[in-house]
Amino acid sequence: MRPSVNRPPTPDVHENQEKEPTLQETINIKLIESGEKERLMELLRERLVECGWKDEMKAICRAFIKKKGRNNVTVDDLVHVITPKGRASVPDSIKAELLQRIRKFLVSAAL
Amino acid sequence: MSLPNEDNMASQLSSHFFGDLLDSIIVDVASECHRIARLGLDRNLEDEEEELRLSAQARVRVADPSNSGEANSKYVVDIFGQSHPSVASEVFECMNCGRSIVAGRFAPHLEKCMGKGRKARPKVTRSSTAAQNRYSRGSPVSTYSPYSNSTSSNRLSNGTSGVAGEEYSNGTFQEP
Repeated sequence: MRPSVNRPPTPDVHENQEKEPTLQETINIKLIESGEKERLMELLRERLVECGWKDEMKAICRAFIKKKGRNNVTVDDLVHVITPKGRASVPDSIKAELLQRIRKFLVSAAL
Repeated sequence: MSLPNEDNMASQLSSHFFGDLLDSIIVDVASECHRIARLGLDRNLEDEEEELRLSAQARVRVADPSNSGEANSKYVVDIFGQSHPSVASEVFECMNCGRSIVAGRFAPHLEKCMGKGRKARPKVTRSSTAAQNRYSRGSPVSTYSPYSNSTSSNRLSNGTSGVAGEEYSNGTFQEP
């Protein structure tokens, strides 16, 4: 008699239960729900415009668009073009200001 | 009392969230630039192509020997024994937008670059926006002098290349 076919075990339904949210996720949710994330984003946006960072990025985009042709460019292209320079060229004072505010929130949220 | 481990974790988390915010803003900027490019809202792009074409045309006209004579009274030898082409052909960088401009086309370029351009202008500084707000509805020609005092002194008269030729005689554009 042929032995029954060896089937792999049925995946356990309960295996895919929701895992405990990580600390990061929890804080992210608190950031969003309290509106602080929005405020932080607006603050960062404002600072980056003031210091000319946004203009720098737009200039880089424009140079790239001129090279590639304005109808051949995708948003993805532009994101890849400005991300390295963008991340590196944020002025230290702005970065420090934002980090400090985030830390303050973390401290108040974790308690 | 915060332990060093807690501090590390806090720093790490802060950096993570900062990076998150920055990435979102980068995507926003990219999206905005993409939109402007695809909708053709950045007049500078087409203007530049047009300017290059017109510069080429102007150069052809200058190089054409049948033009010299009565039409180009400036194409004569001056007291220093120099003769200037009627369209200054030196190429330099516009200090407002940073583009390479043929000198003979600089005045019309400035008109578009500084005068009637809309909000998407390459260099936005507090002083330039204040100046621009003052005459945003005035005619470009009459407002050259007040503007040139506040940023750089462009002592160019409107397009007459005889004057322009002298200023570029040593090959660089003078800026105090």
